[in-house]
Amino acid sequence: MFIRFLISRFLTALAVVFGVVCLVFFLLHLVPGDPVEVMLGESARPADRAALQQALGLNQPVHVQFVRYMANLSQFDLGTSFYSKRPIRDLLLERLPATVELGVAALLVALLMAVPLGILAAVKKGTAWDVAATGIALFGVSIPNFWMGPMLILVGALWLGWFPVSGREGVASLVLPALTLGTALAAILSRMIRSAMLEIMNEDFMRTARGKGLAERTVILRHGLRNALLPVITLVGLQLGALLSGAVITETVFSWPGIGSLVVEAIHRRDYPVVQATVLCISTSYVALNVLTDLAYAWIDPRVRLGSQP
Amino acid sequence: MPMVNLKRFMALALIVLGSACADPVPDAFRFGLASAPANFDPRFATDATSARINRLLYDRLVDFNDTFEPVPALADWEQLSPTHYRFHLKTNKRPFHDGALLTANDVKATYDFILNADNASPHHASLTVIDRVTIGDETIVDFFLKRPEPLFPGYLVIGIVPAHLIATNHPFHEHPVGSGPFSFQARPDETQLHLLRVRDQQRFEFITIPDPTVRVLKLMAGEIDMLQNDLPPELIGYLERDRMVKVQRKSGTNFSYLGFSFEDAVTRQAFVRRAIAHAINRQEIIEYVLDGAARPAESLLPPEHWAGAQDLDPITYEPEKAQALLRQAGYSREHPAKIVYKTSSDPFRIRLATILQRQLQDVGIDVDLRSYDWGTFYGDIKAGRFQMYSLAWVGIHTPDIFDYVFHSRSIPPHGANRGRFRSTLADTFIDHAQAAPDLETKQRWYVQLQHHLADALPYVPLWYEDHIFIARREIEGFTMARDGNYDGLRHLRRSSPDAL
Repeated sequence: MFIRFLISRFLTALAVVFGVVCLVFFLLHLVPGDPVEVMLGESARPADRAALQQALGLNQPVHVQFVRYMANLSQFDLGTSFYSKRPIRDLLLERLPATVELGVAALLVALLMAVPLGILAAVKKGTAWDVAATGIALFGVSIPNFWMGPMLILVGALWLGWFPVSGREGVASLVLPALTLGTALAAILSRMIRSAMLEIMNEDFMRTARGKGLAERTVILRHGLRNALLPVITLVGLQLGALLSGAVITETVFSWPGIGSLVVEAIHRRDYPVVQATVLCISTSYVALNVLTDLAYAWIDPRVRLGSQP
Repeated sequence: MPMVNLKRFMALALIVLGSACADPVPDAFRFGLASAPANFDPRFATDATSARINRLLYDRLVDFNDTFEPVPALADWEQLSPTHYRFHLKTNKRPFHDGALLTANDVKATYDFILNADNASPHHASLTVIDRVTIGDETIVDFFLKRPEPLFPGYLVIGIVPAHLIATNHPFHEHPVGSGPFSFQARPDETQLHLLRVRDQQRFEFITIPDPTVRVLKLMAGEIDMLQNDLPPELIGYLERDRMVKVQRKSGTNFSYLGFSFEDAVTRQAFVRRAIAHAINRQEIIEYVLDGAARPAESLLPPEHWAGAQDLDPITYEPEKAQALLRQAGYSREHPAKIVYKTSSDPFRIRLATILQRQLQDVGIDVDLRSYDWGTFYGDIKAGRFQMYSLAWVGIHTPDIFDYVFHSRSIPPHGANRGRFRSTLADTFIDHAQAAPDLETKQRWYVQLQHHLADALPYVPLWYEDHIFIARREIEGFTMARDGNYDGLRHLRRSSPDAL
């Protein structure tokens, strides 16, 4: 059953990734802006433009370019950047560690903030604690990263001098971007934990646990939280996918050399191969994380059986 | 044996002493960039940041002085015939950073590579006037042209790369080897670049920080020592009040303008374009929006350019005159001229466009402002899908730009006459200027042309934006360049704390 589930998820994932690759390839060729124009400027003669188009393979019909691209892809050849002339594999390998580092750190920050806030808001429902936790969550969701980032820099780097302003130089440089990125996610997660906890608080098993004389803390953390985390895990899986796909604004604000800033630069320059490869990388990580989330869901809740209706 | 040991001991002691007496490795200078250099190969690089970094890494045959006349850099030249230029390499120049000497063969190899259409160099187009390149001896290079071109030396501004590395297909784009005042040390990642100043091995780190606010915060925190340009005026004003940093300004030549379509029923009318010119209060915008960091422009070339026109009448701010001109064109408050104004999505450009929209509205022009991402905007402009747009010409050195922008044969894709401006008079002036045998005659034709353009107004000139260099107080010795290059880093130094 498990193998069948894995195969079916793998095939679905492959279809999704293929769909994304096709969509990105054709959309990129449809949007206005030509890489040759960006590279040569207007001063280029038609002959030079044609020469460069030929050198880049852009003189071929789009469907021919697509077939060639897919053929290269089947051999794991992502191509070469039009602009920097570097192999895209190298570019991605350079940028991915930074993105993974930031994504995981932001998720940790989010969980560290969201779990206590969500539990507090649920346990102290209707009190000032609940209002405060709701307020913090609202604050986190409402503040855009492009404002939050510079504010954190102002306080953490300029006034307190605890962290570097930007760049990727050691653990200290990770704190501010992770806080910026993690706060919004923490807000969403804390609201979800609160509502899941509230649903569970009055369940029979919670009453039984209390009736057995367990301490309230044990009841909430061992029995309540474990069950409340189920829907949260799905969300965390999806959000981690988003975080690994590169937090464009946060990476730009903090000059973080990750996937997000790479794809933005590539789009501006109409560097098709880099955009295609980056989107492929992002969609693959999204799909992989989704599959992993499903597996984690089944592992945490034994009632959920793979391949069968719960 | 004891004697040999003693010698060895002495030699070792000398080495140890020598190293002890040597200057300690100085702290690196850190320069904040708005965008990363994309390509360190001067035969391919086209973006402004790459061009500025490559100037540090590579030497070139010719450079420009402050009035944009070509002057010798690596080589002096003589014109042996209208189509034959001989360049003599200066013998006191530095070797390449790999130790090889720069010879005429390297110059030929560099230009031959670009002239080979198969190599698809983006600089090929600007050099098509070259018929062939030959070498005399190690220091003599002859350029033979297809037709006479008095401005030709000004075309030879591409960095020279070593012939022996061209032969091995060396990846200059990531491991540059030039003969410039700086050598490549490392590129830890896309956001960092480390160069060494050849004369004293001083390390310079170029750090890409795209967000202007963060760039400024990094300067204030001392994480970078300096930055140049690409800052909104309010940040410059803020830094000018900070005692920890120094702000230097230099008049620039980047020309901002409004362009018009001559195929549109509204903007093709001279009265309308003239009305727009008089409706814009450039002085106020420069003073309050650009924080004084610009000067009004009257022509594409600045007046100090050798081909610039110094006697053009300034366009004055006269809203009443603008209204009268609109009435002459048949428009009124009840039936206003309606114009779609396109600009890029850059926040500062949108802010400027909004102000222009308001000023035009005040004289009775109904402006519909639309901003687009760069690719879409640029695509529309080239295709002529606009009534009015604003843009800037950057890095203009030679008056060839007039042919490229205003001649009727330069309508895209053959040039940048985006507004489809067709003027027999302008074409005649340009043709005469190009055919002129010497710079004086060329200058006369170009000045006449600029007077004609000031009357016809295919562009409404706005301003030339200043270059701004901001550094921490202890940074000294940087001289700003008119075109914003980084050559000033050659003499950069850090003052001693006592001097502060």
